[in-house]
Amino acid sequence: MYRIRFHGRGGQGIKTASRILGSALFAEGYEVQDAPRYGAERRGAPIFAYVRADRAPVYERGIIDHPDLVVVTDESLVQVPAAAVMTGLCDRSVLVIASAAEPELWQQRLGVTCRVLTLPPGPGEGAALMGAASVGAAAKLIGQISAANLEGAIRAELEGLPSDVIERNVGRALESFDSFESHAGCVSEGEALTRASATPPAWVELEVEPTSISAPAIRGEATSEQVQTGLWRTMRPVIDDSLCNHCSWICSTLCPDAAIDVGSDREPIIDYEHCKGCLLCVAVCPSHAIVVEPERAVDEHRSDP
Amino acid sequence: MSNDTRFHDIKDLPSTHLLGSGTPMCAGCGGLQAVSQIYDVLGPNTIFVNAAGCMTLLSVYPFTPFRGSWLYTSMGSAPAGAQGVRDALDILRDRGKIEASEDMQVVVLTGDGSAYGMGLSATSGAIDRGLDFIYLCYDNEGYGNTGQQTSAATPHAARTSTSTGAAGYPGFKKDLFSIWVANGASYVATVIGTEPLDLARKIEKAAKLDGPRMILSLAPCPTGWDYDPKDSAEIGRLAVKTGVWPLKEFADGEVTHNKKPRKRVPVVEYLERQGRFAHLFEPERQDRVLADIQSKVDRYWDAVGS
Repeated sequence: MYRIRFHGRGGQGIKTASRILGSALFAEGYEVQDAPRYGAERRGAPIFAYVRADRAPVYERGIIDHPDLVVVTDESLVQVPAAAVMTGLCDRSVLVIASAAEPELWQQRLGVTCRVLTLPPGPGEGAALMGAASVGAAAKLIGQISAANLEGAIRAELEGLPSDVIERNVGRALESFDSFESHAGCVSEGEALTRASATPPAWVELEVEPTSISAPAIRGEATSEQVQTGLWRTMRPVIDDSLCNHCSWICSTLCPDAAIDVGSDREPIIDYEHCKGCLLCVAVCPSHAIVVEPERAVDEHRSDP
Repeated sequence: MSNDTRFHDIKDLPSTHLLGSGTPMCAGCGGLQAVSQIYDVLGPNTIFVNAAGCMTLLSVYPFTPFRGSWLYTSMGSAPAGAQGVRDALDILRDRGKIEASEDMQVVVLTGDGSAYGMGLSATSGAIDRGLDFIYLCYDNEGYGNTGQQTSAATPHAARTSTSTGAAGYPGFKKDLFSIWVANGASYVATVIGTEPLDLARKIEKAAKLDGPRMILSLAPCPTGWDYDPKDSAEIGRLAVKTGVWPLKEFADGEVTHNKKPRKRVPVVEYLERQGRFAHLFEPERQDRVLADIQSKVDRYWDAVGS
């Protein structure tokens, strides 16, 4: 059985990518199961999608813990623990990361021995086409899908959208499909899982407690601040102090997430643990003092000595 | 209004925020933008009674962005929930269990699906009974939390997941403001998060009054209206500048328009920035529909007068 896991962010078309891959495998005569899994169900939040395909009926269900192929459409997810990109990778797995960096660098960074391939974004390409690019890559790496069936599955899935959108997606998927020619069929099918081979979840047995302990009154204020919605961000707003006029009543008031604090000199301070990266502040700043940086560029600055 | 307000200038707006960050609302949510500003003005002595919708995800155990209590109700029954909370507070006050200074503002938090549709009957009943509460509707013009199906607040010609044809939604947005006025509310106001000073003054005023009071906030919605989250502010501002979203209030038996756009921007500029109206521009521009939408806005403002 082939087990493929997609990791992406809401809005990148990951659910659609898994459906297209599933349909294409079905067209090749496979029994198929594909299912997305949403977390926060919000644009920018990490999401997952799973595809299983076999020549025999697929009875396995649920999350894929032993993937043959993992496709990550946003490299900033690698460092997000909740995204659990690395779960269950073994020597025969294949990991594809949407990144302009070299595969060897990723292999080194992640300390993995499996095959790592990168899917460089096209020049000026937005997140919207990453789903198409990743499904093209996955189809070639599995090696069981013809270009015609891939294209057919995309057209069927996107039916009803404007024709230029469909053509852009088909074009991007086929370009990606062709670019992985030298790795065609490198993904191998995994073993059937048995009851004996399943690892039980790492749960903790809890004793039954009196209601006063097990259902305590909740009195905490603003406990949502423990949730790091900053992990949703792919681009970050950065304030250029030389241009900022300290008119923080504008950006701080208009930030939907109360993620811009006001300092003692009325200077705005962005709370990166919670800023979701909507960039509304960039649009409203009267002195154009807030610039946009991609998250990975920020990481590179940070790692500079 | 300007004499008895503490908000004379945009610099008077609160510089610290009560609503906690880390909520699961979408990036660029125009509804959360308004709710956050409104909470800052109402203060921590506020109880939210939340009709099911996007905002019920604000408070998901064990996390809450609020500083106090929050009650979750079904879509149709938020005003009934508010009645129970108000009664309980009144009883506590009558029995001397809480001081007048400890009394709380009871606020229904609801989306347009509930406010314009399935919650309307319970709402009208609460107005009939003269319930002392604030009813805060974040109006993103569709059932946003479930994938933007058409609601009674959806504007004419917008595409929703249940109005997908070339013409979009054939109906017209319901005039909830006038329904509240006709039903006997003590205060009704429209606001938007991108006009924070106007919003703060209206919330301040509403908080000082008694009886059924409604705050109706347009909530630009990147997910449901299909635009980039960074454009939320621009779309909110255009809603006001084009006259699509009139900022007005009803108090003492009179409707007052607080911001009359001196020279209204053509409605097209508001529509063309949103994917939900894209079918009005391509593959062919639907000039007749666009002219209809413009003339409806023009008629509204002609009736208002200058």
